[in-house]
This record gives sequence, C-alpha cells and structure tokens, in this order.
Amino acid sequence: MKKIGLFYSFKTNKTALIAKKIAENFDKKEIDSIDAEEVTEDMFTAYDNLILGCPTWFDGELPNYWDEFVPAIEDLDLKGKKIAIYGNGDQKGYPENFCDAVGLMAGILEKQGAEIVGFTSADGYTFESSSALRNDKFCGLALDFENQAKQNNKRVEDWCTQLKKEFN
Amino acid sequence: MAYTDIPVEIKFGIKKTDKEILKKWYHLMALGRALDNRAPNYLKQAIGWSYHAPYAGHDGIQLAIGQVFDKKTDHLYPYYRDLLTTLSAGLTAEEIIYNGISKDTDVAGGGRHMSNHFAKPEFNIHNVSSCTGNHTLHATGTGRAFNRYKQNGVVISSQGESSTSEGYVFEAINGASNEKLPVVFVFQDNGYGISVPKKDQTANRKAANNYSGLKNLRIIHCNGKDVFDSMNAMSEAKAWAIENQMPVIVHANCVRLHSHSNSDKHELYRDDNELQYTREYDPLAKFQRLLTRYNRLSEEEIAEIDEEVKAEVKAAHKKGLAAPDPSPDSIFDFVIAEPYVSEKYPDGTHQLEGEKKKLIEGINDTLKAEFRHNPDTYIWGQDIANKEKGGIFNVSKGMQQEFGVGRVFNAPIAEDFIMGTANGMSRFSDKIRLVVEGAEFADYFWPAMEQFVETTHDYWRSKGQFSPNITVRLASGGYIGGGLYHSQNIEAALTSLPGCRIVYPSFADDAAGLLRTSMRSRGLTVFMEPKALYQAPIAATPVPDDFEVPFGKARTRREGKDLSVFTYGNTTHMCLEAANKLAKEKNFDIEVIDLRSLLPLDEEAILSSVKKTGKALIVHEDKVFAGFGGEVASTINEKAFEYLDGPVRRIGSTFTPVGFNRILEKAILPNAEKIEKAMIDLIAY
Repeated sequence: MKKIGLFYSFKTNKTALIAKKIAENFDKKEIDSIDAEEVTEDMFTAYDNLILGCPTWFDGELPNYWDEFVPAIEDLDLKGKKIAIYGNGDQKGYPENFCDAVGLMAGILEKQGAEIVGFTSADGYTFESSSALRNDKFCGLALDFENQAKQNNKRVEDWCTQLKKEFN
Repeated sequence: MAYTDIPVEIKFGIKKTDKEILKKWYHLMALGRALDNRAPNYLKQAIGWSYHAPYAGHDGIQLAIGQVFDKKTDHLYPYYRDLLTTLSAGLTAEEIIYNGISKDTDVAGGGRHMSNHFAKPEFNIHNVSSCTGNHTLHATGTGRAFNRYKQNGVVISSQGESSTSEGYVFEAINGASNEKLPVVFVFQDNGYGISVPKKDQTANRKAANNYSGLKNLRIIHCNGKDVFDSMNAMSEAKAWAIENQMPVIVHANCVRLHSHSNSDKHELYRDDNELQYTREYDPLAKFQRLLTRYNRLSEEEIAEIDEEVKAEVKAAHKKGLAAPDPSPDSIFDFVIAEPYVSEKYPDGTHQLEGEKKKLIEGINDTLKAEFRHNPDTYIWGQDIANKEKGGIFNVSKGMQQEFGVGRVFNAPIAEDFIMGTANGMSRFSDKIRLVVEGAEFADYFWPAMEQFVETTHDYWRSKGQFSPNITVRLASGGYIGGGLYHSQNIEAALTSLPGCRIVYPSFADDAAGLLRTSMRSRGLTVFMEPKALYQAPIAATPVPDDFEVPFGKARTRREGKDLSVFTYGNTTHMCLEAANKLAKEKNFDIEVIDLRSLLPLDEEAILSSVKKTGKALIVHEDKVFAGFGGEVASTINEKAFEYLDGPVRRIGSTFTPVGFNRILEKAILPNAEKIEKAMIDLIAY
C-alpha cells in the first residue's frame, strides 16, 4: 500500500480526534498527517492515497479550509488517486443535510478524476437527506458525535480495515 | 412540485472572474462593511441611526442581489438588513448615511421612515414596511404588472428566513407560483429571528424547502457567505425567472456576526463557541483570503482599496452631517395624493330626472365605463369572475366577458394577498388604477389590515414618491340577517388611519359618482357598499352617465331648520323616513345630511347646518361606542359649541356583535323607530 496523506484541520476538535484514531489504525510509516488549513496543491498531489477529514458546517456546507481550496482542486488532475473521506454530522439536529460535506467533497474530487473509496453502509443511521448518500451507501465514513459517539471507534476501525484493501 | 434539482450554471469563480469586477466587488464589500461598522457610532454620539440591523455575515448574498439588479428593468424590495444590497444596487455611501441619520436628503423618504430602511424609489428600489416579509406580497404584485405589461426583467424580494413564518409570505409565493410571475424571493438565513433560533420558527431548517410542494417554482440553495456561490445563484435565479416566467426562491445560508440590532445583545443567547466560529466564517475575510491566495489582488491592491473606502466614508460622513434635517412644517405634506377634481360636478350633485338605477347598477355601470375609459384599470377579488358570476353580489357581472381575464380576475381566499398585491402592482406605474374587492364582505377584511395599514403609509413614508392608486370595495353593513360575520361596519377602524379616503354612499348616483372619482384619483380610497341597498328601490336614483362626486362633499338630502341629522350608508334612508314622518305628524323640519365621505369629512357642511338648527343628531349603523359618530360629535363640540341648543346625540348599534336571529339583529341595529324617538327627544330638549 502506498503512503496515505491524512488531511484534516488541526484546529478542529472532533475531526482531529477521529484523525488520530484513524492514524492509530495504520502503521506510522504508512500515514502522514497534514493540516488542511495549510494545504497546497503540491501537498495534495504528493499522495496517491488520501484520507480527508471533512465535517459538515451550517446547513450542509464545506468548512472554509476545504471550500477555499476547491478552486485549486478544480485545476488538478487526480486520475489514479484514491481518496477516502470521513465527516462528522448530526442526524437529529441537522437531519436534512447529514454529512453533506462528505458528498460535496466527493463530487468535486471525482470531477477531477479521483476515485472515491471507503463507501460505508447507511444502515443504523436515521436522517432525512444526505449529499453523501449514493444509493444505499455513504460515499465515505459518516460519524455522529452528538448521537452515536459510542459507535465511533468501531466504525473507524472497520473503515480503516476496508481502506487497507481498497487503497493503492 | 418545485424544481429543486436543476444544476446552477457556474459563471463566477475566483479564478475566472475578471479582475476589475473583483476589485469592484471588494470595494463595495469594504465600503458596505465600513458603513455597517460605523453606524452604531452615530447612535453613541446621539446623531441618529437609532435602529441599525448590521448585515455583516450576509455579505455574499447581499453583494449578489445588488449586482444582478438592473434598475432599468428590475424592481427590488430590500429589507431592513440590506445595507450592502442597496449599496451594491446603486445607492451611494452618502445616501446610506442620509437614511441612517434621517436627513431631509434621504432618498428613501426624507427621514420619515425608520433608519436602516434603505430605498430609492427612483431606481425601483422600494421603500418597504418594517413588518418583516410584508413586501413579499408587493413583489408578487409587481410581478403581476411585469406579466401584464410584458416587462423583460425580474422582481427581487429580500428577507430574513424567520419572516418566512409569516402567513403572508406563503400567500405571496403561492400567488407568484399560481400566476407564474418572474419574482425572485431571497431568504437570507442567519439562523435567528432576533433571538429566536430557527428550530423555534419551523421544523425545516431550510425554510425554503417548506415551499417544495408548490408548482411553477424553482428553489436554489446557496452559501450566502460566499461571493461566488451567491453570484452564481442569483444570476441563475434571475435568468431562469425571466426565461421561464416563474418565481424562484434563493435560500442563502449566512451568519450573523453581530446582534440583531443595537437594541439586542446576542451574548445573552449565543455562547462563546458560536460567536467564535461565526467570526471565523466572516464572508469579507474569506473573500480577502481568496483574492490573495489565488493572486487575483495583491495585499497592496487591497490596502489601496481600503484607503479609498476610508476617504469615501469620511466624505460621506461630512455630507451627512451637513445635510438638512426635515422641517417640522412638512408633516402634513404627502399624507395622501391629490384626488381627481371634478369640473362638471364640483359639489357632487346633479339635476337628472327620469329612469332610476339601482345602487348595484350604478356601481356596475361605472366600473365598466371606467374600464372602457382607462385601459390601465384592473379589478380582482374573491368570486370576482367566473362565467356568469361576477362578485359575491354580482356587482362586477359581465366585466370579465368584456375586458378579459387579464384585467378582471379571481383572487385566492387570501385578503392580505388581495390588498398586498394591489400595493405591489401599483408600484409598477403611476398610471395604473386598481380596484379590489377587499374581501367577500367587509367582515373578512381584517386579515388584510396589515397590508391596508402599510398602504396608508406609503405616500407619506416615501415623501410623495409612491402613491398606491387603489380603490378598495367592501360590501358592508347588516340588515340582511347575516349575523356576526356578514353585518360588520369597519369604517371606524379605517378612519383612524391617515393616508386613505373612506366613502360610504347611500344612493345609486352617489355610489356611481364616488366610484368614478376614486378610480380616477391617485391614492387609496375605501369604497364602502351598503349591501342591503344593492337592490333596494329606495336607494335607486337617476344616474348621469358621467357623474362624479368629489371627496369630502356631503349632500343635503332633506333641508330643515329644527334639527341637523348627519348620517351615511343604510341609515340615511331611515333618517329620511323618520324625518318625513315627523314632518307630517308633528310639523318638525329636520335636515338630513348624507356625509357620503367620511375621510375627508365635510366639516363645512356639518358646522354650517349646526349653526342653522342648533341641534345635532348623528346616526350610523356601526356601534355608537367608538363609532365614527364620535368624531363628528367632537368636531361639532369643538367648533360649533356656542351654536348648540342641546347635547349632540348619537344613534347606532349597541356595543355588541350583530346577532344572527332576526329578533337579535333588530334589537341591536338602529332603525327608523329608534331614530324617530331620538329626533323627538332632541327637538324637545
């Protein structure tokens, strides 16, 4: 497996906590943690396997650090890249846009040729709508600290096991 | 179902948008923010701007609304937080300050309206009410005018998401959807209605989606904090609305960086974490970061614009402080627009004899004649036209057949919509004359009161820049066994509002003449129709084809010297009956004056009659307590007291609702018998 670039905002709490859990599931040599607040095109394209921490903000938006990087992404050729996305949402408080940012980011990356990996089952979640939903699966890992925090560890572990099989 | 899945064309982006445009946008955003930040200082220094609702956090969508707006083709209804919207749409920095500190030079209306209500009617940027979201109905009304006059443009209405909880917002959007009108409704969603969070407003966090069941409507969601997403959404919305002649909702997610206004303290209900992340999502800061990150503007170029803005604000501030204040002598200017002046019938009387017309015929004939006379006339209301039916009482019978569905049409059962869209349609052109059946019965006009009140304010509030030229027809009063909701007289409430005229004829000829004058005048006139008299032979008269009755001209229907009786509507006939009876039986000589017009009131006729007879009886169908007669009585007491030989008496309904059972109705409403007794008592006094 090629090296993984784990991109998330170091200023965050929940997203950073999950990033650390993800990193623990890989060998230290297999994964680099990069602050998404400082991301550049070169840093982003340096990896063939990427994991992005992408929480949903407001009523279904990307956080600023990703949103402001999107114009750069739109000029990148991401063919051959395998990218997995995780995000935090709130099924009860924001059921109309649960983990939308995961789906938004996936769509942007796919347009540039990236392959999104790490799809997970939507079973066990209750929400109204999600941009991350593709048929009956999320196009990434959907986490919910507010309502299903106890399931986070298991979900992260299972996802990392899956990624090890799906990554380049 | 609404169109919700059509992709938005991406026309604008940090990399693809022309540099000069980016500079212009940054300049506007920096200027707006400088004014927004400066506004509270005026209050602290006791200069003015006592109401300021900061827009910071709405920067993207407000810039976009103003940028897509074209004053040559479009109309804009901003709300009280739309400082940047109006600046971006064409107001200058000094015009913002003139409004903020309420100067006579304020282009919205010379300091008459509250601060932060930015407008420029000359640019079709409308002066709107403080009732939040109430202008959505005006936008729909203007959209209807766009449709009728084939205007190639769009109407844009802007509001906060909380105001979408108002029922009239649904009426507006439902109407625009039903009539397929090119209106863009923008919801600027900052998550709060003052301190009330979205969850306490509606179950749907995305309030726009509450409208997803409506047909002929597109819903676009955008990030109102982001300039490009907002520009793309608004450009798409405008183009789509024009191309498809259908409304669009643009729901823009914003943040509110500050308190609701300077009377609010958001620290009382927002925690530190929320305030912190809200600041991090400041749209202006984001735009700056994008400009420099993608090398579109350098730090130096941004600093240069910031310096320009400082100088511009300083100059505008100086102009603002030097501008004249409004004069206290001007308060009576622009209360209501000047009425049509009758040259042929200056006192509203005629000598025609011959065939009599019923009151309903007088109204119907006049409506038709005026529609033939003026192609810019329209009428709508509930039940107004369907095949052979024309109005709940058939007053508008035959009009749709003659003038077509474009000018004579039904309205939904939504009285506020009827009134509010009249206001909005009237804003399109001063030449338009509108007639609305305000409700099936006057009793049902109450839901329209907020729009009625709003409409009475417009001419004064805009300092004469906009006159709503509307005649509101209301079938009024009782004596039909109609009970509590088919018998009401509501004129006492309406006459308390400056900015409208109220007329209440009793006879066919006066009805025809007053209606013609109403329909030819600028301004708002309420035309009360005593429905019990529509078919009554007693109210039938000869009616000259071109008859006109000026406002504020009472008509003496019976001359006398023993007692003056002032009345209108149904009771005019009872007064005449009683006076004639007493003339025969007791040789009393009683003068009966039909006021015809309550607002303006013919004080001269009232005082002149009282001076002649020395005694005054006021009779109306409405309740005596707090009825309009109290105003007439006070006028007599104040201005003719020394001529009185007895107390001013009033006869009207008891202070109860009108009962349905005929026995109750008779006990409650005035009649000739009760009037006759009062006449005898007063003459004997």
